[in-house]
Amino acid sequence: MNADEWLRTLAAELHQRRVAADAARHVVVEAATHLREDGRDPWLVLGPPGEYAAAISESIGPAPRPRPGPVRLHAQGITKRYGRHTVLRDASLTVRAGQIAAVVGANGCGKSTFLRICAGLVSLDTGQVTVTGRLGYCPQQGGTADFLLPDEHFVLVGAGRGVARGPARRAGRTAARQLGWEAGGDVLTRHLSGGTRQKLNLTMSTLSEPDVLLLDEPYQGFDHGTYVNFWDQLARLRDQGKAIVVVTHLLNQLDRVDLVLDLTAATRGERA
Amino acid sequence: MNRLVTVAEMTARELLRRRGVLLLLLLMPLTFWLIRRDAYVGQSVRSLLLGVSWAVSTAALFATGAARELEPRLRLAGYRPHHLYLGRMAGLWMAGLVIAAPFLLLTVLDAPELRHGGVAVAMLCCVGVAAPFGMLIGVLLPRELEGTLLLLTVVAVQMLIDPAGSGAKLTPFWSSREIATWAVDHTDDGYLARGVLHGIVVTALLVAAVAAVSSVRLRRRRHLRQLPTG
Repeated sequence: MNADEWLRTLAAELHQRRVAADAARHVVVEAATHLREDGRDPWLVLGPPGEYAAAISESIGPAPRPRPGPVRLHAQGITKRYGRHTVLRDASLTVRAGQIAAVVGANGCGKSTFLRICAGLVSLDTGQVTVTGRLGYCPQQGGTADFLLPDEHFVLVGAGRGVARGPARRAGRTAARQLGWEAGGDVLTRHLSGGTRQKLNLTMSTLSEPDVLLLDEPYQGFDHGTYVNFWDQLARLRDQGKAIVVVTHLLNQLDRVDLVLDLTAATRGERA
Repeated sequence: MNRLVTVAEMTARELLRRRGVLLLLLLMPLTFWLIRRDAYVGQSVRSLLLGVSWAVSTAALFATGAARELEPRLRLAGYRPHHLYLGRMAGLWMAGLVIAAPFLLLTVLDAPELRHGGVAVAMLCCVGVAAPFGMLIGVLLPRELEGTLLLLTVVAVQMLIDPAGSGAKLTPFWSSREIATWAVDHTDDGYLARGVLHGIVVTALLVAAVAAVSSVRLRRRRHLRQLPTG
């Protein structure tokens, strides 16, 4: 890796760690000057760019997040019954632009049902959902076509909003790259691994540039690197002012969200 | 219009890429043709048309099942229900014509005494009816096994029922049988007219039924209020 590549990687790593743009630029300029004066391999001088960026990020901290914007999703008093079985009772959630909400709870407590109700895909017994802006939804599984190419999925989703084929393909590939996936190949979806198929699933949900993004455990099958990329991408989308609701059972990531809705029967209700 | 064409194109692409399924779909009408070929050619033609109907219905049933999870998210991506069901139907009609074309050629080469224009019209009726018929079963019965068994029952009834009986007209593919009689036995034009009318009416009813069921299934729920930003 030459100095230019090392600096490019450093800039990307700083961006991923949400170091403020001005500070990141300053760090990259300083590193470039240092490397030029030293003249040796950047790995020998400053070490791996990821580790260097992590040290910088730790010392100066991430950029302050913008304040949450107006309410984008307001779900109030959601009750859903299947026959005599009440799946959801009086669940409520309010998410503003620039916030990530996690929906957690035990298996079968209605997390996916809640999300599908918010997306308007399932009817409810009582309650109301108000969404301001465009909705995007990523199902837990399915939602892709086995015999289509990833590019064709992007074209299909893009056509829904009147986007021409070329721009839709480019937008899809760019969004896929954020998850560390090069989507331009001619491999049918049925031949993709489970994790890559989920990347396609997730990419499709962000393609229509939604204001409210509903994600139902979209990281199943992700390797560790992609999983980290996924949360980084959510942080970027949040910083762009999206309101995000993600169903999860992995409680170790709750420090990366702004709101938690716990649907477990004993503790139904919202806590911030 | 672009949305409708895109859905139609993707449906046809998906179907035509399933080479194994396509071969099996082509095998059935061919078997139906060959099995009766040594006897009266009329039986061969009728069996062939039933085979084409079965093949296209089955393709429509499975295409509808495969799209079940995809359609709700396409709905959120900006599609209206009619873009989805009409687009899919158009794609299936295209694929159905691809399936039927070689068999029309087969009748031309193997049975020159037929009225081949009539055979072509009968095949058009088969394809026209079979696509919405398979889709309707697909949207009503979410499990493919149940749908396939129902299709099998309908085709068996169609094969065994007395075509002159009044009940036969209630079966979906009666039109192709009536037109085939005109094409094979050189009967009067009444057979052709009745067959075409039956085909058009049944196709229209099935399209309307698919539209009604799909519109309900893909409707925007009343509890969701969507407001514009800003």
